Amino acid sequence: MILLLWVLSFFGQIPEKQDTVSLSEIEVNAAVLERYSQGQKQITWKKEDLSLVGSQSLADLLSVQSPVFIRQYGPGMLASPSFRGTSAGHTAIFWNGMPITSPSLGQSDLTLLPVFAFESASLHFGSNGALIGNESIGGSIHLNSESKFNAGSTFLFTQELGSFGQFNTQAKGRISTEKLIAQSKIYRQFSENNFPFRNLALPETPIQRQAHGQVSQWGFVQDFGWKITSNKKLKTSLWFHEADREIQAPLGSVTQDQQQDQSLRWVMDYEQYAAKSTFQLKTGFVVENQIFNKSLNRTKQFLLGTEWDYQVNPHWFFHLGARFIHQIGELSTYQAVDQRVELFQSVKFEPAENLNLALNLRQISYDDQVQPWIPSLGMGWTFWKKGNQELKLNLSAGKGFKVPTLNDRFWFPGGNPDLLPENSWTSEAGLEWKSGKLSQSLTGYHMSVDDWIIWLPQGNIWSPQNIRKVRSEGIEYQGTFRFPTGKVKWENQWQYSLNRAVSVRKISDNDSSVGNQLPYTPQHQANFSMKAKYQSVYLLLQNSFTGERNVTADNPRTLDAYFLSNLTMGFSEFALGDFKIPIQFRIQNLFNTEYQVLYLRPMPGRSYHFNLSIQL
Amino acid sequence: MKKHLFQSSKLVVILLILFSCTENQPEVPRGEFESGILILNEGAFGSNDGEVFHLDPSTEELKPNIFESANGRPFAGLLQDIVYENDQLYLVANTGKIEIVDAGDFTSTGAVTTDLDQPRSLTVNSGKIFISDYGPYDADFNTPESYIAVVQEINGGGVSKKIPVSRKPEDLISVGKFILVAGSEEGMVEVIDAKQEEVVETIEVTGSPKVFFETNGIIYLYAIDASEVRFYSFNLENFTIASTDIFPISMATGKIASGNDGMLYLIRSSGFPDYVDAVATLSLSNSTVNPNWHEGSGFYGIGVDQIRGEIYLANSNGFQGNGTVTVLDESGNEVDEVEVGRGPSGFLIR
Repeated sequence: MILLLWVLSFFGQIPEKQDTVSLSEIEVNAAVLERYSQGQKQITWKKEDLSLVGSQSLADLLSVQSPVFIRQYGPGMLASPSFRGTSAGHTAIFWNGMPITSPSLGQSDLTLLPVFAFESASLHFGSNGALIGNESIGGSIHLNSESKFNAGSTFLFTQELGSFGQFNTQAKGRISTEKLIAQSKIYRQFSENNFPFRNLALPETPIQRQAHGQVSQWGFVQDFGWKITSNKKLKTSLWFHEADREIQAPLGSVTQDQQQDQSLRWVMDYEQYAAKSTFQLKTGFVVENQIFNKSLNRTKQFLLGTEWDYQVNPHWFFHLGARFIHQIGELSTYQAVDQRVELFQSVKFEPAENLNLALNLRQISYDDQVQPWIPSLGMGWTFWKKGNQELKLNLSAGKGFKVPTLNDRFWFPGGNPDLLPENSWTSEAGLEWKSGKLSQSLTGYHMSVDDWIIWLPQGNIWSPQNIRKVRSEGIEYQGTFRFPTGKVKWENQWQYSLNRAVSVRKISDNDSSVGNQLPYTPQHQANFSMKAKYQSVYLLLQNSFTGERNVTADNPRTLDAYFLSNLTMGFSEFALGDFKIPIQFRIQNLFNTEYQVLYLRPMPGRSYHFNLSIQL
Repeated sequence: MKKHLFQSSKLVVILLILFSCTENQPEVPRGEFESGILILNEGAFGSNDGEVFHLDPSTEELKPNIFESANGRPFAGLLQDIVYENDQLYLVANTGKIEIVDAGDFTSTGAVTTDLDQPRSLTVNSGKIFISDYGPYDADFNTPESYIAVVQEINGGGVSKKIPVSRKPEDLISVGKFILVAGSEEGMVEVIDAKQEEVVETIEVTGSPKVFFETNGIIYLYAIDASEVRFYSFNLENFTIASTDIFPISMATGKIASGNDGMLYLIRSSGFPDYVDAVATLSLSNSTVNPNWHEGSGFYGIGVDQIRGEIYLANSNGFQGNGTVTVLDESGNEVDEVEVGRGPSGFLIR
């Protein structure tokens, strides 16, 4: 706290009256990440991209449109990200700069993050504990609300009806003046999820309907922004989400589990701009209740942080920050409190317009542990430019870390308070080639994760240990091609990723998994999407391929590769008076592919969805 | 495993007699799994990847996933127990079903797939199947509604009746028309009349009853507590305790196997914080005890091939991947090691 006060008093001396700003006024968090993550692979979805998938979850978005593998336990069930062969807990997730990963579980369920609740999303690949912080081992996900002043007023109501009892309702209203923004959203997403599937656990493998998979979610988001003066801004967002799910049992099980998840998240930023600097003060909390078969687990997380960005001259940029996090776990088997203090520093050097270098550092203390030295270094160099063609080289290396979760340390019985943080090193090199309407990039990476925590049985008790060491290597290729043919505008995007993630240390004398691909980690993934737009009519075909996955690293049992296609047709300009009425019709799993993402967790076949909006 | 291990010697004898009797008859084709060692791989919680492997000890040939190979579909459950009855094998999945297969070739002959919660074991009596089941968990993770499920056909079908018993019934054994049930949590042995489908007698015992076995014509119940193991025998005409043998073996688990010359092999685990496992040996006939006959960690199942005089010890390897089976001779020397499926927990040796 003393440190924080010091930082505050230091920043209090910033000159107040300035007429220009050094960072984008739209989103400081995103702009800082952009500026100092040189050389690292990123994928960003803007508001327009997200509006096409507005009734879906972040899990649906990433599984179709990114190289991140989503481990999904069934439609509407737990879905967790795996970046480059890492586990669900190796992904940091932020909402408006606030970490929202569960302090007890150390991971987030992407099904519980509806795309409708935020306006932009970005993925950062690779370890970058210095810039991003805890859990950024495989990568990080950043979700942001929009806070654009002077953008007018809108109202949007959307209703979607779909197969398997889907009934989604969403409404959004926004007022945005020169000084104020107020945006309210409310949504309800419901699905009976009674999809037919082949029950492999029964003799004759009959086709049955899923009888225990109903999902009901609702929530609201309130965003508020106030431009106090031309260089001072206050913005705040509140997000409540509640989900009630019948947990789909794996084939062969008869469990009838029920799970409720409630979360209340709040974040407030005060931002002050000067000619060459930006100052931000952030506070917020996340309270989460998870009720599994009437057993309540509650966690609370409070954050107080400050950041200062300073541009010395056109070549040098500095960033300083401090963050204090207080976590409280009120779990069914233990109570625990944890506190973390983090300091972070970044420097960007831009010797020429085509060359950027960034160095980031972070120090973190928790419990009685100190991690004093977490660096990352990156470079972006556009080394060739001719006409509308350019080639850019990206290089980066960074360290990632993950503080053991509250459950890892305190779960009773079995929690291990002596655990070390998991840690990783990533290095990557990428080449971007832009050639008019065609752009492509190729990235190669190497990552080593050590002290990877896994829970192992010790007699009758399971207990976590820092035992696994993993090496992950791969290449990622992506491209976009936009062109017109007559009046039709085409937009094509594709990605391919090859990953080899292997355990390099035995976890027991008899462990025979060393050198084999990690469980549930496809070596090959690809997707291809094609969008054609003619005036206000559009047609979008999305295809994704997921390669074979091993159920365990040393077992011959593998899950088949699968290929999925979604077809979307829409008409965006239909109007009745002042009301615009965009309509969309979507077929998911067009070819009715029978597949499992995880062993014995059936996924739905072809489904139809009709989406109608009223926009004012 | 459990009692069925003890019956294995009986089975071998029966088979020997059978084959000696049919020596001059035309040869009946034998199923490939009629002899050898069936290895139960329990599978990992939440994955339902339990399966059976078959090991031919004479050729050391190991066949993985024999249920899936024979039936073209996964077992899809956590394999708790295998029971041999009337040339059929009953595969008990504690995830809520019983698969019945031909003991020779493992092809499906029936199943019980509805109205079970957490089945543990079963016995066939009076043309019916009696299945011990923990029943559903309540909000506090207790099982107050444990039962014995009755199925009217030996090839499976629906559950016709649930006979309430004490919490967490484990093993069962048939004695004439009666069935003894090891009620593990409340220290009870219930006696069920298979014809009436009712509990007709209850016997209280000390410790947690786990497994029944029959040796020299006497039925024993193996029960454990933190510091001792107990062996009860019963007067079967009035269902009272006939004898109790107590051995000072601490931290025993429910896993036990019967060897040659009345030797019993049982798994101990020290648990938190040292996690040292051991195989203890004892003899009911001469009361010798060796609490640390073989030491290690991760022991999860045990079986004895009485003919070859070999002890099969399963190691779960933390359920992260494949388990291991170590073969020991009767002096405790390692003879062989085999990589098997996930969570190996027991053996059916024929």
